[in-house]
This record gives sequence, structure tokens and C-alpha cells, in this order.
Amino acid sequence: MKKSHFFKPAQKLTQDSHWVALVGNPNCGKTAIFNLLTGLHQKVSNYPGITVEKKEGTVYAQGDKTFNLLDLPGTYSLSAESFDEQIVSDQVLSWAKGENPPAVIVSVVDASNLSRNLYLTTQLLDLDIPTIVVLNMMDQLKDSSQIEIQKLKKELGVSAVVPISAKMNWGLDALKSAIQKSLVNVAQTNHQSQWINQDISHQIKLLIEPHFSSSKFAAAHALRRISRNESLNGENSNIEAIRNSILELGYNTDTLEATLRYKWIDGILPFVQPKIRTKIQKETRSERWDKILTHPWMGPAIFMAILYFIFQSIFTWASIPMDWIQAGIDNIAIFVLSNMSPGMLRDILVEGIIGGVGAIVIFLPQILILSFFLTVLEDTGYMARVAFMLDKSMTKMGLHGKSILPLMSAYACAIPGIMSTRTIDSWKERLVTILILPLMSCSARLPVYTLLISAFIPPITVGGYFNLQGLTLVVMYFLGTVTALILAKIFSQFIKEKSSSSFVMELPPYRVPITRSVIRQVFIRGKLFLVNAGKIIMAISILLWFLASYPKVDSSLTDVNPIHHSYAGKIGHAMEPIIRPLGFDWKIGIGLLTSFAAREVMVSTMATIYNVEDRGDETVNLREAMRNDVDEKTGVPVYTPLIALALMVFYVFAAQCMATFAIVRQETNSWKWPLFMIAYLTILAYAGAFIVYRGGLLLGYS
Amino acid sequence: MTLIDLSPGEVGTISNIKGNRHLQNRLVELGLLSGTDVRLVKCTPFNGPVEIKVRDSYLSIRWDDAQLVELK
Repeated sequence: MKKSHFFKPAQKLTQDSHWVALVGNPNCGKTAIFNLLTGLHQKVSNYPGITVEKKEGTVYAQGDKTFNLLDLPGTYSLSAESFDEQIVSDQVLSWAKGENPPAVIVSVVDASNLSRNLYLTTQLLDLDIPTIVVLNMMDQLKDSSQIEIQKLKKELGVSAVVPISAKMNWGLDALKSAIQKSLVNVAQTNHQSQWINQDISHQIKLLIEPHFSSSKFAAAHALRRISRNESLNGENSNIEAIRNSILELGYNTDTLEATLRYKWIDGILPFVQPKIRTKIQKETRSERWDKILTHPWMGPAIFMAILYFIFQSIFTWASIPMDWIQAGIDNIAIFVLSNMSPGMLRDILVEGIIGGVGAIVIFLPQILILSFFLTVLEDTGYMARVAFMLDKSMTKMGLHGKSILPLMSAYACAIPGIMSTRTIDSWKERLVTILILPLMSCSARLPVYTLLISAFIPPITVGGYFNLQGLTLVVMYFLGTVTALILAKIFSQFIKEKSSSSFVMELPPYRVPITRSVIRQVFIRGKLFLVNAGKIIMAISILLWFLASYPKVDSSLTDVNPIHHSYAGKIGHAMEPIIRPLGFDWKIGIGLLTSFAAREVMVSTMATIYNVEDRGDETVNLREAMRNDVDEKTGVPVYTPLIALALMVFYVFAAQCMATFAIVRQETNSWKWPLFMIAYLTILAYAGAFIVYRGGLLLGYS
Repeated sequence: MTLIDLSPGEVGTISNIKGNRHLQNRLVELGLLSGTDVRLVKCTPFNGPVEIKVRDSYLSIRWDDAQLVELK
């Protein structure tokens, strides 16, 4: 395997004519097949303008012959209207018009759910592009549901039907050679699927558009027009007349395409699966498991236990590799410091780039552990059950059952959380989820809480059991989460539903995840996190380094910390009148400013301000320095437990991580929503800190 | 009679789906044609979504939408 290929993505993989498209239902194992075929030769990007992931890869078979593969998002149909599904229907529409169509379409079908999966296959067959049907999950089939491969091939008229099992890792070589064979034997394709009947094709003649290369696709497109009541060339009378005559034939015009296709599929199934008897009463193994896993009270209790386990592991297991990374970054910085001559280049390298990138790399273990658990929960089919159980309570708060996954992810980092909202069909519920995600206390806030709690909250036991320091931390997490849920309810009152998708969700069978597929998924998540967040954080780190280091003053002339006179120091002093009512001084002002790069940068900024040695035990020294800092004139301590508390509350709410807003801009495709978020979060942070500080003073605390 | 009038475990046959075009279309695309058998698998508390089995799949449908699926 040529690993270098992965980091040097091939340019526009699917531009040459010999490319292959991978299409299939959600949960049919399509992504696992893609991962197994392409290995690490993948390139994940976004479709232009929208942010649905576009996954392309190169397949290396025996010999030199390779082909490029595009993995389209899972979809049930080409007439669907959710974000992911719209991509597929738009892509297929452009292929139908002859715009860079694939040489071969691979239609992945879940063999244990044949009729519903074949629905999408028949839609693809309309294109008359050479198609290979892949029957995945063949290992799940019982004797009674055996599929006659040759009959299916004949009925559909496809170039090949390949039975495989991505889980058992068999049949993939046969699939590779079938694809290669189709790529070589370019023949005129005319698929057999005559799902549309004479009566209907006669009625829709006027709606057939000439620019489609296939007449079957043109007919299907006409039916979708009829269902949407969308005329051709604005001739409304036309479509009304056609709808009426179809109604007279006894068909429902709204569901015409789906009805006709299922009639055709149900007609061929007895030949393809001769032994099958529909046993709707039969309980599958998954259904028996669900008796416990989605039980009214056992289900939520099990989910809480799993959640507890995940967070426990994120915060305990991750700390070990995080320490290694910190040590590694420190060593690199020391290495550069001792091997480069002093100067601006060294400064920018050590303080700007290594410091900035280090600040983001340190979170990689947490992101990887969280993505591992979330991928496993998703791939086993459990996440869909959680969405099912929580849908009612989530909708009560203006969210969606599927919001639970983003909300959980956001405890590690808001960015993967925001990206995982894409599975929510409803625009409104998706937007509300995105808007409140920054309130979930992400792991970047943890260093700030840790510093302030250890410096100012006494380690005493309250109420007999609770350590006051631990309790403070829990309260901060709780404050963010509860505020998020309340605001979700409020926002959902004001946001209008834009999409008109339904809320039907599949509960796929429980499956053992495929190890290799999970590892690859986690690897790709980690890479995306580093690249997306890294770019922004690096740029901001360099800018902040510049602000904090310039203009340079000769340190021999003054005993004051040079940061006083830097641009950052000036900004901090300028900010002081605004943040003074919260009890914050100019030094915290600088910390708030640098937190825009990443919240945890606050800690290293304070370390720089106090001139403490930035090696290893910085928090211990910084803690002492902050505790002992007194006002030059009055001798009163600059920071008190009350100020620390107000500052923590400020961090719970404040809009600080620029990377988050860049991602929100991408996901919502407008500046309106990130700006709104910055505004409401800032107001909340200021008000929260103000109430804590002023309220505390009134109650006589300090 | 609609989907929610079934008790858990009971099977019915779909006669008609009401509601807007999107819901109708999505349900038919997932295989809920008139004449298809459907089994109510379970309900969730406080009129939360219901789980149904149709063809070979288990689906979650919100209570309000389930009321629009009429049975014979």
C-alpha cells in the first residue's frame, strides 16, 4: 500500500471517464465496501457550496489496472429531499444529462432486505449506464431467503450480480474483477426493468424532456414532476390535465413512481427468492435485543451507563497520550530553540506555529477515542435506537432524536458535533442543534476550569460526600447543558421549517462493526479534525503571537513585562473598562482575546503574562502566581474565588473558538447564523459573569 | 382504523396514507404500499414515535405521522 498517496490526494479523481459510482441505501454496508476496496487511498472533500462529504478513492487491483471510485451518501430514493439525499439525486440528474457520468454504477443492495433496496436499484437502471448489483450481507441470509443470482441478473438485465459479504471479507475480489470487466467491455446498455406501464407512458408523453440520454430516465423524471405538480416550461394547464387523466386511471399521482416500481419489484421477487414467505410476525434477533435495549426504562438506563463509560474513558484514558503529545511538542520546541539562532523566524516557529499547532494536536486523543465510540455505536445500529427512544423528549425541546449524537460529540469538540448534524433531515431541528452546540462544555474548556478551580476553589468536602472542586466542575458542565436545552426550546419557536422532509427513520438490524472499517473511519475523522481546525488555529496563533510580541521593547530599559507594551497589552488595557464590571482585569482581557484561537490558549497566555516557565508544571507555578498577584496601589488580591467563578461562567457561555464559527458558516452556508451565535453567546457570557460577580458581591462574598 | 389503533404485536394491512405529499412519498418509497402488511412492534411513552415492521425493515415513525397511515 502506498501510504504517501493518501496525504497527496489525487487531483479530481473522478474527472477521467473511467470512474465508478457506489450507490446504495443507508445501512447497506456501502461505506464498509468503499473502505475495503480503496484502503487508505481516499480523499474526503466537500461538495461545492454545501458540506456533504464527498468521498473519492482509488482501487488498486492485481496488475496495473486501477479505477477511481466515488462513494455517494446513502439514500433510499432519487426523489428524496434531505441534505444527503439531495446530493445523490442532483448527481444522478446530471449523469442523466450526460454530464460526466460514471462508466459503471455499483448498486449496493442489502440482501436481507431485498425489495426495499431494489427500489433504488431500479431507479439507477433507468440511466442505462452499465450497472453491477452487489448483494451485500449474504452471510445473514437464511436458507428460506436464498436468492437466485442468475434469475436476478436476468430480470434486471444488469451486467453482473455479485454476492459478497463485507463483514466476512469475501467476494470483494470478484467484485473488483466484475467492475474491471465492465470497464473494458463497453457495450450499449438497455436495462430490462420495464416498471412503467403502457397506460402511464402514454399519458406522460408531453412531459418527456429531450435532454436526457435515456428514455426510461426521462419517463421517471416526468413522474417526479407530476408528483411535485411541477410543470414543464410553465404550462400549468398541461400538468393539471395529465394529473387528472392519471387519477381517472385509478392511480395516486403523488406516489405514482413508487407504486409502479414496487409493483414491478413485487412481481419479480417470487422468481428471485422462490422459497421466501413473508413472515411479518417473525421476530428477528435484533427485535429480541430491543426488548431490553429500547425498553421504556431499562433502555434509557443502559444508555446512561454507556454514556458514563464513554466520558470516563475520554477523560482518563486520553490523558496518557495527551501527556506524551505535550512532552513531544515541548521537546520539539526545545530542539528548535537550541538549534536555531534567535530571531523573528525562530520566535514565530516556536511561539506561533509549534505552540498553535500543539494546542490543537493535544486534543487528538480525545477526538479519536470519542470518534471510535461514536463510530461503533453508529455501526452497530445502537445510535438509531437512542434516537428512537429520545425523539419525544428531544422534540419537546425543539431538537430531534438524532440530535443526541452531535450533543455527545460536542463534549469533546463542537466541530465534529456540528459536522454530525448532517444526518438530521429537518433543517429547523438541524439548525437549532447547531446553534446550541457551543454551549456543551468542550474539552478545550477543561484546562481553563482546571487552572481556576485548583487556584481558587478550596479542596474541602461539602454535604458529607462531595469534593467542592469536583462539584464546581460538574456545575459548569451542567450549567452549559441546561442552558443549551432551554435555548433550543426558545430558538425553535422562532425558526421556520425550511425543508419538508418526513421523520421516518430506519432501525437497522444490530450488527457487529467491521474492525477495519471502524479504524479507517476514526482515522479519517482525526485527519479531518486536524486539517479543518488546524488551518484556522495556526493562522490565528501566528496573528496572536504577533500581537503579543510587537512592538518589541528593550527589556533592559524597563522592568515591566514587555507584554504590557505589546499590541495585545494595549488591547487588553483598552478592554478593561468593558470587563471591569465582571471583576476582570486587563490580563484576563488578553486571555479572553487569545481564547479566540482556542479556549485552552488562555492558560498559556496567562503563563506568558506572568513570565512563568512554560515547561511541564506550568499550572502549578501559574496557580501560585495568580493567587499572589496583588494590586500595586491597594495591595488587594487581583483575583478572588468570586472572580474565578465569574470567569468560569464566562467560559461556559462565551463565543471563543473561531474554528467553530468557521464550520457553522460552512454548514449553514451563510454568515447570518455564525454571527447570530457570536452575538447571543457573548450576551449570555457577559450577563452570566455579571450576575455571578455582582450578585456574589451583594451577598457579601469576595 | 390507523396504525396507532393496533396494539403492539398486532398486524394490519395498509389501505391508504394521508398527509402531505412528502410523507406519503417517503412511506411508499420505504415499501408501505396499500395492501402491504405492517406490524406494530412497540410504542414509546407519552405518544413518542412508534416502531413498525414492514417488509424486512423496522422503522420509527412519529405518532402524528402514524395516525395518517390508514388500515383496512
